[in-house]
Amino acid sequence: MKPFWLVTIAGVAVLAWLARGLALPVFLAMVFAYLLSPVVAWADTLAIRRSVAVGALFAISISVLLGAGLLVGPRMVKEASALVERLPTLAIQIDTALDGALAELVDAAPVFRRVLPEGRGWVHRLVLDRPPGDPSDFFEHVGHLFLLAILVPFFAFFLLRDMPRLITAAMNRLPPKHVETSVAVWRELNGVIGRYIRGVVLDGLVVGALAALGLWALRIPYPLLLGAFAGIANVVPFFGPLVSAAAAAGVVLLTPGQGLGGVVRVLVLFLFIKVLDDTVIQPLTIGRSVHLHPALLLGSVVVGNHALGVLGMIIAVPVATVLQETVRLLLEHRRVLARRSLRA
Amino acid sequence: MLKRRLPRWLAWAMDPEQARRAPFLAHSPLFAGLPRRLLGRLATRFLEKAYSAGEVVFHEGDPGRALFVVVEGTVEITQATPRGEHVVRALGPGDAFGELALIDESPRSGSARVAGPSRLLILYKTDFDALMDGEARIAVVVMRNLSRVLAAYARRNPVVLTEPGARSEGAESR
Repeated sequence: MKPFWLVTIAGVAVLAWLARGLALPVFLAMVFAYLLSPVVAWADTLAIRRSVAVGALFAISISVLLGAGLLVGPRMVKEASALVERLPTLAIQIDTALDGALAELVDAAPVFRRVLPEGRGWVHRLVLDRPPGDPSDFFEHVGHLFLLAILVPFFAFFLLRDMPRLITAAMNRLPPKHVETSVAVWRELNGVIGRYIRGVVLDGLVVGALAALGLWALRIPYPLLLGAFAGIANVVPFFGPLVSAAAAAGVVLLTPGQGLGGVVRVLVLFLFIKVLDDTVIQPLTIGRSVHLHPALLLGSVVVGNHALGVLGMIIAVPVATVLQETVRLLLEHRRVLARRSLRA
Repeated sequence: MLKRRLPRWLAWAMDPEQARRAPFLAHSPLFAGLPRRLLGRLATRFLEKAYSAGEVVFHEGDPGRALFVVVEGTVEITQATPRGEHVVRALGPGDAFGELALIDESPRSGSARVAGPSRLLILYKTDFDALMDGEARIAVVVMRNLSRVLAAYARRNPVVLTEPGARSEGAESR
């Protein structure tokens, strides 16, 4: 490898390390840009200048988000406040049930006494007995969120506006021998990632809305909050739907007057939504963008969780798909080069 | 006042490059007959690249993944023969080559070399497939035009029809 390329790669690596704090805003900006890109592409077909199209789209998107926030926000805040107020009672109820069940378990099989940690009231200790945080932590979190709220649209705006110019510049610097295969790989991956991101977000919205409606119809408390959680958790394959169903079932279990019948109704609702999601919603939203074997899909989610936690679980599927497609196309490219050298 | 300024605002809001691209593609035999709306959609799928004189766009035998349209300059389609490289065709602005890549990724039947500084528009099969998924009319029109191009090619090179696998001297890169 030439020294110029070594210095360039090293320089890029150092810059990336120094700018690692920007990784999350840039990632979220890319997601946002992928979501809006079909509308910008439609404006391109009408030969509308990108800056005009993206500016108008941002104005509309911000208005829609503000409108949705005003419409649903107060109700969500009310439900969240009610849940926070009920937390001490809920924690005591869970602890009572848990302590009783564990006592019975230890009586039946004393061997578990060694395995289980000492003490009682775990949930109370975990949720409510945490030392109050430093007030500066609170301001740091708020500041971080504020920065994200500014940086994400900022980066997304420039990504959407300048992407064609960046692509042309990159294409002009690319050696001609790489133009066909390398760019074909990138175009394919770009299509897969775009369809996946838009599909997952649309899928989450539909699942969240169905869960909220279903919970509201079943008169379960906090339907909006639990529906929103179900929609967000749905992004994580396999585990997301399980966690959201468990959360809803837990709330029902601890709500006076619901009982086991309520839990069964909620589990049936979530099972129905999952079946509907797998058979109708996902084929329509995510479609054919992901061609991963189920074992590879599950494995990628587990590895993603191990490496980056919840964020890793969310990005596991597109990353695994990109790796699989890249390897497939690069192997094909290698075969072509080998054939060409044989002919020569 | 609004009447006077509106056309100027509209002209400012238009992207001149995109506005030029659709009418340019309309002149290519491959995209003839496409309505303006679909030409606009098709035009956004093309990427553009500048080539220097002598650069090879693709080699004979490479898998075909994209169609090329000459915007500026000249491109020569060549084929290797026992007597050396033979120029089959010289293409100018508006001409398309590598059309068969839109059907499958079969190996290129010739090489494409840029004769002078040129600009090419590139349409990848992936993008064309995505476009066809949403617009069957594009598929019908482009495939009909492609059939015409291939029919003309087959009439000029009848040996291809009678001897599968054989290639005539005049075969062009598709």
